Amino acid sequence: MRTQKKTFPTWCRSCRRGYRHAAADTSERWRPNGTTDPTRNMWRLNKVRHKSGRQGDSLEELRLKRREHERALRQARRDRQLVSRRLLLTEDEDQAEVTMDTASEGQGVVDVFHKIHHSGPDREAHMKVLSKALRDPSAQLTFIKLENSMHLLVGLLTGSDARCRLQAARCLHELSRSPHRDVAPACLPATSYLLTYLSGQSTRFTELCLYTLGNLCPDSEVVQQKLLAQGIIPALASCMEIQRHNPAVVEAVGFTLSQLLQTNDAAVKVIPTVLASSLPAQLLSVLAPDPNFALAPAIESAWCLHYLTSSSRDNKELLSRGALLQCSSLLVSLGGAEGNKEEGLELLVCPLLRCVGNLLCCCPVEELNTAVADPQLVICLCALLQNYLQTQPALARESAWVLNNLTAHSNTFCSALLTFNLVSGMIHLLPFSQGINTLILRVLANIAHKKKDFCVQLAQLGLLSALCATLKMADQEMVTLSLDVLFMLVVSAPQVAEEFVQQGGVSLLEAIQYNSEGEMRGRATYLLEHHLLSQ
Amino acid sequence: MTSIICDNDNQNKERLSLHVLCLNSESSTVTIVRYCLDRMQQPQVRQLLGNARYDQCPIENPQQLRPSESGDRNPFSFTPQLIHLHKDHEMFEDGDIHRHMYLQDLYTSDKDDKPALSVAEFACHISGCSAVFSSLEEYEHHYNSLHRHVCSSCRRSLPSARLLDIHIQEWHDSLFTILAQNQDMYQCLVEGCGQKFRTSKDRKAHLIGIHKYPPDFRFDKSRKDKGGRETKKQLHKDAAMEVVPDVCKSEGVCEVLCEVLTDQPEKEESMEMHVSEEDVAHMGQCASAGEPADVSAAAHGCTGMEPQKPRYSYRVPTTVCFGHGSVRGFRGRRGRRK
Repeated sequence: MRTQKKTFPTWCRSCRRGYRHAAADTSERWRPNGTTDPTRNMWRLNKVRHKSGRQGDSLEELRLKRREHERALRQARRDRQLVSRRLLLTEDEDQAEVTMDTASEGQGVVDVFHKIHHSGPDREAHMKVLSKALRDPSAQLTFIKLENSMHLLVGLLTGSDARCRLQAARCLHELSRSPHRDVAPACLPATSYLLTYLSGQSTRFTELCLYTLGNLCPDSEVVQQKLLAQGIIPALASCMEIQRHNPAVVEAVGFTLSQLLQTNDAAVKVIPTVLASSLPAQLLSVLAPDPNFALAPAIESAWCLHYLTSSSRDNKELLSRGALLQCSSLLVSLGGAEGNKEEGLELLVCPLLRCVGNLLCCCPVEELNTAVADPQLVICLCALLQNYLQTQPALARESAWVLNNLTAHSNTFCSALLTFNLVSGMIHLLPFSQGINTLILRVLANIAHKKKDFCVQLAQLGLLSALCATLKMADQEMVTLSLDVLFMLVVSAPQVAEEFVQQGGVSLLEAIQYNSEGEMRGRATYLLEHHLLSQ
Repeated sequence: MTSIICDNDNQNKERLSLHVLCLNSESSTVTIVRYCLDRMQQPQVRQLLGNARYDQCPIENPQQLRPSESGDRNPFSFTPQLIHLHKDHEMFEDGDIHRHMYLQDLYTSDKDDKPALSVAEFACHISGCSAVFSSLEEYEHHYNSLHRHVCSSCRRSLPSARLLDIHIQEWHDSLFTILAQNQDMYQCLVEGCGQKFRTSKDRKAHLIGIHKYPPDFRFDKSRKDKGGRETKKQLHKDAAMEVVPDVCKSEGVCEVLCEVLTDQPEKEESMEMHVSEEDVAHMGQCASAGEPADVSAAAHGCTGMEPQKPRYSYRVPTTVCFGHGSVRGFRGRRGRRK
């Protein structure tokens, strides 16, 4: 056992990655609403690991590297080539020890390969050396070009020595992380075995196979086709079923599935098969806030569901399995009025928001109340809006988007926003840009569109004076939307029209009559002529 | 059945006059009502729309007319919409990046790298004006200074309704000219004074002597200067409020100047510039006076000062600076404002 100082109270034997799981002692159970619950630490994620950082890097250098990396990822996304591969560290590996010593890696690989090839009792030790060596990209290329290298590896993977199997799997894992396009196809001879092993019982070994398969998926269509033909989806489904009590394996299955779902032809080649399998039900069960809940697997499952719901507009299959109910309930229990500030929680909140947002698009209004059981969802969404506004505006924007979909056709949820006193808070967000204010104004417009009484309430809450400001904004869409909302308010009741006039609205509209856009001029004139000046 | 559509006719330079097109659906004719918005106090506009005078005129810009059979079509088109976002949508970019950083073990809750939340900008929507502002106060200030009290005949911007009225009366009202031959018609500019004078010279003397006004008060130009200015203005009838970007290159002096002058930017920008004593002094220090479209007035008002470059655009004068290295002017048209 290592003597390294650990910071976790329990060291879960099955996952070994330092998650703070519920202790093996089942007296500690997770309670959905408990804020004083001692097992809340199970929500914690493993902290940042700078794999490529050397010991000497300063904080500033690390930050710079991160920013560069982020820029590269953004560009990759724009090119539709956003791909990630995960590294599963070995048991005795300390994160800080991972270095990138590349001195004479190429030759080292060749030497070790020959040692392994010529058998002997030290094979396992040599294989460990090989797997470490294969962390280097050029060594990876060297290896696959060696004659019979893959054949040897597959032989060891399927041989009678269990420890060599593990090491062979580790070598394949390192190879799977290669950025070179030639490497993944070279690993094809091993994939059928990796898939077979998914229905085994060794959790660590299964995890390794899963991450290897997940890393092999992106970039190579050849590999994707082969894997699908070899039955990767049923294999994943059965693996998840067998290992559903093991969070680390469930997380690995989720990751691998998410890689498949992000491939270019996923909508046609992957998703129908997935929807026909038991995977959707299993993914949803991972999101259930029961005693087995763990953050990392939930994150992976949620992302899988996001890829499923966002790839097509037809999500009846998922709706019928209660996906909207599950995702929205989890959001509510995560959101909370005080805002759950746990680190890493936004990694789960983000895909959940997206699932709810997209699922709402295909849920008929009549079924909305049962599909989203808790009207407090609006409280949760508004809380997310406020909490993430400064730290992660993109997430705030996505919350506003979900609110729009929620309120578009539903009187219940529009009314809930008024009842729960959430409108004033939203009005205060109208000054912010990057699309947040247009979405929030849409939500307010959705409310106004429902009933005249709602319009009167909105006016009382200060929307009129807010519109006097938004009508002057640079963003064309904001101004048009503001005019539309203004119209609805003004026609709702004479006192609203009067109040608008008192606030100096007439001169404001008259100025708009000189707007360069005909749409604006027409609206302003119509309002003045029909509703304000006939007072 | 008539409908009233406001048409901003670009060919007619009386920018703030209200053109009202009345569509008569039965006879398919269009009549145009035109009057000076500026001459009227705002509430009176309402009455005018009710008592419009009709002149028969051909349609000038048919494309600007909205096709309408009934003439009363509601232009508002908002309906609530469900928005489905595909996984590759740009709105999902930030979240996706965050996710992949996590997958690549680069996740951190480091607060320093958070993207800044931006506040929406305001923009002047008056056709031809493309000024953009970062706060509502700036916008209001701009609008009040440049668009609220503008003479439609000569496009001069006056600082108040009262001064605008007096200006219109004295410059553009032929009846005034006739009456002024026999009566004291020139009002004192100071509110509450109430005195009237036979000539503008008398009034000016009164202003200087009694009310201690500067001898070169910008809002009391006599009409005989109008000719020269107006010619120059003809050249720039089409000039938008857009300012040629210009970077302030002065070294450090500007900060001092800016603080002094921040309470007077409106006057710098308006067509009529208020050149007070302090302005003259500062103008001498900084580069040439950026007096918009009014070189003769500058010479007139600031004796002994020579503008280095006569400028005819609506520049922000060099005495107003937004900081060393900053663009000296309002930003140009934005892409979305078509």
